[in-house]
Amino acid sequence: MKSLRVRNLSKTYFDPYAGTKVTAVRDVSLEVAAGEFACIVGPSGCGKTTVLNLVAGFIPATSGEILLDGRPVKGPGPDRGVVFQSFALFPWRTVLDNVAFGPKMRGIGKLEREKIARQYLALAKLSDAAGRYPNELSGGMQQRVGVVRALANEPDVLLMDEPFASVDAQTRMTLQEELTRIWQEKRPTVLFITHDVAEAVFLGNRVIVLSKGQVLEEIAVDLPRPRAWDVLNEDERFKALTGRVLQLVRAA
Amino acid sequence: MNPLLKTWGAYVRLSSRWPAIASIVPFIPVLALWWATTALEIFPRVFLPGPAEVVRAFVDLVYKGILPEYLADSVVRLAVGAAWGIALGIPLGVLIGVSRSAHRALWPLLLFFQAIGDIAWLPILVIWFGYGLTTMTFVIVYTVIFPIVLNTVLGVRSIPINMHRAALSLGASRPRVLWEVVLPGALPNIVTGLRNGLGYGWRALIAAEIIVGTSGIGFLMFDARRAGSVVEILLGMVILGTLWYIVDSWILAPVERATGERWGLVTR
Repeated sequence: MKSLRVRNLSKTYFDPYAGTKVTAVRDVSLEVAAGEFACIVGPSGCGKTTVLNLVAGFIPATSGEILLDGRPVKGPGPDRGVVFQSFALFPWRTVLDNVAFGPKMRGIGKLEREKIARQYLALAKLSDAAGRYPNELSGGMQQRVGVVRALANEPDVLLMDEPFASVDAQTRMTLQEELTRIWQEKRPTVLFITHDVAEAVFLGNRVIVLSKGQVLEEIAVDLPRPRAWDVLNEDERFKALTGRVLQLVRAA
Repeated sequence: MNPLLKTWGAYVRLSSRWPAIASIVPFIPVLALWWATTALEIFPRVFLPGPAEVVRAFVDLVYKGILPEYLADSVVRLAVGAAWGIALGIPLGVLIGVSRSAHRALWPLLLFFQAIGDIAWLPILVIWFGYGLTTMTFVIVYTVIFPIVLNTVLGVRSIPINMHRAALSLGASRPRVLWEVVLPGALPNIVTGLRNGLGYGWRALIAAEIIVGTSGIGFLMFDARRAGSVVEILLGMVILGTLWYIVDSWILAPVERATGERWGLVTR
């Protein structure tokens, strides 16, 4: 696990139809310590997904730096694992082969990479689905595969772009609890993007509020772990923190 | 009503056990109509012979060895042309699908040359290459390649960008993404292109054989016209349809079931 540092990151697009420049991200600096779970929350259009795409290397930054343990990174790479809102599983590969994809790209032999994949599938209680194709699974199961696929490649940083936004509410709560459990077990460095304030507070050690392409405020979340919804729903500190973040987001 | 439903149920069970039955049954009314029309002599026998006479002609031509030879000639021509068409068409389609500049440079040319149909090339091809395999192969490759290229481009372009991104952030190199994401992702469309391409190619082949051929099913039919043998013309038509049905249901459909349908990219 490595620390992630973003320094003075900016992204400006040229809109050829309007003929104007659009600034999606303006001078964003943030740090995620090694093994920390950080959440970026903000209203739609605040530039949070752009920040993730920049960090993942999917789009080039206009200016600024992205550093992993002090080393600058450019372009996408296996050091930053990504979990997508749309899952982005390979439909032509079985669940096992999806999870084994990263190790395969690293040149790990078939037996060994399938062993790795099975271990990670067991971690998310997915062992029974190993031989199935993604389209045969429910949305919640597909996203479990998405998370495990990224983790199985042992990235330095795990980037998650609203990963639970497209599953139903009950499944989402289960997935959030499972994610905190897996995080506690593996302690990856996580940068998690969401528009859901309760989700950000529930998952993170720290919540970064983004507004109009800028960091508005950072709030530490010192709630005890393991975290569970039926406990936290009654918790006064959880309520206070969510209330505070919600206020910031709504004012943003 | 009840016995009718029972018969229907029996048919559904039977045809799901032996799928071949389901592919033969639809032809029964067509054959019956044909047979009835000829038995009632609505048209003179010389103009429209019946199924029995066509079967007799089939046996006769097989016995003489003409039909197997012609059939083999046609199938080999199609196979050679299709192989070239696939070998050129898929890489070209992937290139145009992946690269913006290749798309900009080649797309207009593609549309221009697509419009000059296969047959429109025959006059100049005959002058260049004479009456032979080269001319026919050219026509088939030309016909097969456009549906393959166009569908491959469509397939490549319809792969969600996050699929590329997922592969890259899992450590795949760009060439590896081509192999691991672009080709399998475009495969259902490539198969569609292949199906259209081969279908058009088959028709173009018959046309080419009629005009420049010295053997083959197209030649057989054209030669039969010269001899005034409607039976052999009908036989040629039946063979064309049957052969295509076999290629489609024994080769193309199983490929589709094993890929796009299995992956949920194509709805059943």
